[in-house]
Amino acid sequence: MVQSARCWYRDGGDALIRREIDGLTLLYHRPSGITHIADSPVPEILDALTRDPQPLEAIITRLAHVFDLPDGSDTRGLEQHLEGLVALGLVRVTV
Amino acid sequence: MDDSADQDGAFPDESPPGDPLTEPQDAPRRRMLLLGLGAAAGSAIVSIRPALAQSAASVLHCQIPIPDPARADRHVAPDGSLVAPGTDGAFPGAGRAFTGEEVKAALRQGRMLPGTGYEQNRAYLNYIRRLQSGTSGFTCYASLQMPR
Repeated sequence: MVQSARCWYRDGGDALIRREIDGLTLLYHRPSGITHIADSPVPEILDALTRDPQPLEAIITRLAHVFDLPDGSDTRGLEQHLEGLVALGLVRVTV
Repeated sequence: MDDSADQDGAFPDESPPGDPLTEPQDAPRRRMLLLGLGAAAGSAIVSIRPALAQSAASVLHCQIPIPDPARADRHVAPDGSLVAPGTDGAFPGAGRAFTGEEVKAALRQGRMLPGTGYEQNRAYLNYIRRLQSGTSGFTCYASLQMPR
């Protein structure tokens, strides 16, 4: 299935400048010049990404290593967030 | 591992977790992460674009690499698609990223992208027009499309 074969990754270096403010996270995306205000779980998901493409299952595993995920958590919620972040240019996906 | 430099420390740098089942369940400072589904997924991030994305500074600074670094070894066919090196009529990548300002001038005013010839310029612009979400340069291109 094509959907599950996709792998997700982020830009390296200083493409994203990040500041924590009052429990929210400000993200300045240098390539696009756009600022984003993010709430959980977006910063956590960005942390779990690497410059090397990873499948959804690997990202979930990384998140589960640090956080408690509610019973019934599967890859669908994560995939929705990732697709939203791809649309914003903050995350990249292999095609 | 150079990837560790820009991690913020939440994730151990070179440790794909071995077996999550062996993690102590009562480890301190673990917190619940709600990944959410449906409508909730869209509410976790708000983008501030109007003033910034339309400002001259923003357009000047954003960049569009040709081709996307992930496919840097591909050549650009006249219709903008990426093809194998050596394909007849295709051009090698630009070796640099063009700025939003350069691309805007080429798209709207018919100027040539710096350092390109006529056919090469046309192939590169076709590539830019075909940029899709998730490809490097897409957000920059999308910003150029926004009405002033």
